[in-house]
Amino acid sequence: MPTGYVIPSNLHYSKEHEWLRIEGDYVVIGITDYAQKSLHEIVFVDLPEVGRKVRQMEAIGTVESVKAASEIYTPASGEIIEVNEALTESPELINKDPYGEGWIAKLRPSNLNEDLKNLMTAEKYQEYLKEAEET
Amino acid sequence: MKLSGERTHLYEFHRKHGKIILFAGFEMPVWYKGIIQEHLAVRNQVGIFDVSHMGRVLITERDAEDFLNYVTTNDVSKLTPLSAHYSTMCNEQGGIKDDLLIYRLEEEKFLMVYNASNRAKNFEWLTEYSKAFDVKVEDVSNNVAMFAVQGPKAEQTLQKISSEDLSQVGRFKCTWTKLGNVEVFVSRTGYTGEDGFEVFVWGASISNPDKAFKIWEAILEAGKKFGIEPCGLGARDTLRLEAGMCLYGNDIDEQTTPLEAGISFVVKFHKQNFIGKEALLKQKEQGLKRKRVGIIMLERGIPRSHQEVFKDDQKIGEVTSGTFSPFLKKGIAMAYVSKGHAKEGNQVSIKIRNKYVKAEIVKLPFYQRRGSEKVILYGKEYKIEEAKNLILELKV
Repeated sequence: MPTGYVIPSNLHYSKEHEWLRIEGDYVVIGITDYAQKSLHEIVFVDLPEVGRKVRQMEAIGTVESVKAASEIYTPASGEIIEVNEALTESPELINKDPYGEGWIAKLRPSNLNEDLKNLMTAEKYQEYLKEAEET
Repeated sequence: MKLSGERTHLYEFHRKHGKIILFAGFEMPVWYKGIIQEHLAVRNQVGIFDVSHMGRVLITERDAEDFLNYVTTNDVSKLTPLSAHYSTMCNEQGGIKDDLLIYRLEEEKFLMVYNASNRAKNFEWLTEYSKAFDVKVEDVSNNVAMFAVQGPKAEQTLQKISSEDLSQVGRFKCTWTKLGNVEVFVSRTGYTGEDGFEVFVWGASISNPDKAFKIWEAILEAGKKFGIEPCGLGARDTLRLEAGMCLYGNDIDEQTTPLEAGISFVVKFHKQNFIGKEALLKQKEQGLKRKRVGIIMLERGIPRSHQEVFKDDQKIGEVTSGTFSPFLKKGIAMAYVSKGHAKEGNQVSIKIRNKYVKAEIVKLPFYQRRGSEKVILYGKEYKIEEAKNLILELKV
């Protein structure tokens, strides 16, 4: 049920279920509540390297549950300036708090205005989830 | 997502309490509360699984034994009534058509239980070969429900509602008993590496699920004080992997022989004839090129099927099953590697998404319980108290 997922209104969302939050001159990214609930019990996170330059929707890491591995696609282009090292020891933070303590990386964006055009608002993302569940 | 597949008697329970996925054409629960919790419940307490999606075939009449000895690799003549064994059906090339359990119910009455994914293929194969024998092959899958009750508290759970003394039923032995007031067939078998039982509810058609559902509920109620959990296919897979047991379609298939899979104990060459005998004998004489092994990760990383196994810069094999072990808290895998490298202690690496992650070949099973006092860890036997120092999650 799409209504069963937390979708904060101030974030931008990708079709691959990542979120992006703008914080001044950098952005924070993570995976959505829907993504963490689909994976369930996250036991392993492979983080990108700091300093790596990435392009929007490039695979930058992996989130794994007991059963499956899922790629993390960056919702924005730019340079990775920090990763959430806490996830290495406590990957379950993504399950507990996907939009807070479970953040994945911070990026200095290189093309944010263009990238945002490819992302969805909370409202659009909710519709997108609803459609995905109905088909 | 809307799924459409076949359903078992317990579908309404699964839908209400679990996360449903499509598996071998069936809408089955992958988990209820979570794979890790369900897995640990089976290792330390007790869990119940609906395995009614599996294929169940009755083989009866005068030639039943001879027929089964021809189509399967183990020696059915050694089975006494009310006992069971693990076996395989092979093709003429020695490739595994399926792995299965055979239960001898009576002198001329056998029950064969095989994988859901092979139901149509196996039934066709059995029917075809049965023509040359005085034998009847009947698919009873849709009229028999099947549950697995597994874990150190499985016997105590079932005993609470069983009319027969289950402590008298040894490993791979069976009995008819009443659970509540319903007559069922119970065997001390399973796919988890724990002590446990499988329960067959006869005369339980899928269109009338009440009988099966009541027994399921009665077992859940009986197991409450032991911490019973209903368990899905996710935990079933991680439990069998830790126990070093093969999953058809992953670790074995028609291109794999029982010898390569390390289950040659189910191939009895002394039998006069059986399908695949010639090819298997030839392979045995010529020696194996590859073998199934267990692998544990020495560095962070979770191995998955189809990833490659390396020794130095040389590819030596491929992972066929891999997961994060909820009990041992590390990545574990089964893989086929070329014979010379299949040595316990051999340091290898697994290519996980462009990274070579350090790993080591270990003896299987990764873990299994042996009676009430011992467990096996990486192929080696330990007293439970000793093993508790090595496995933090081992409580009972």
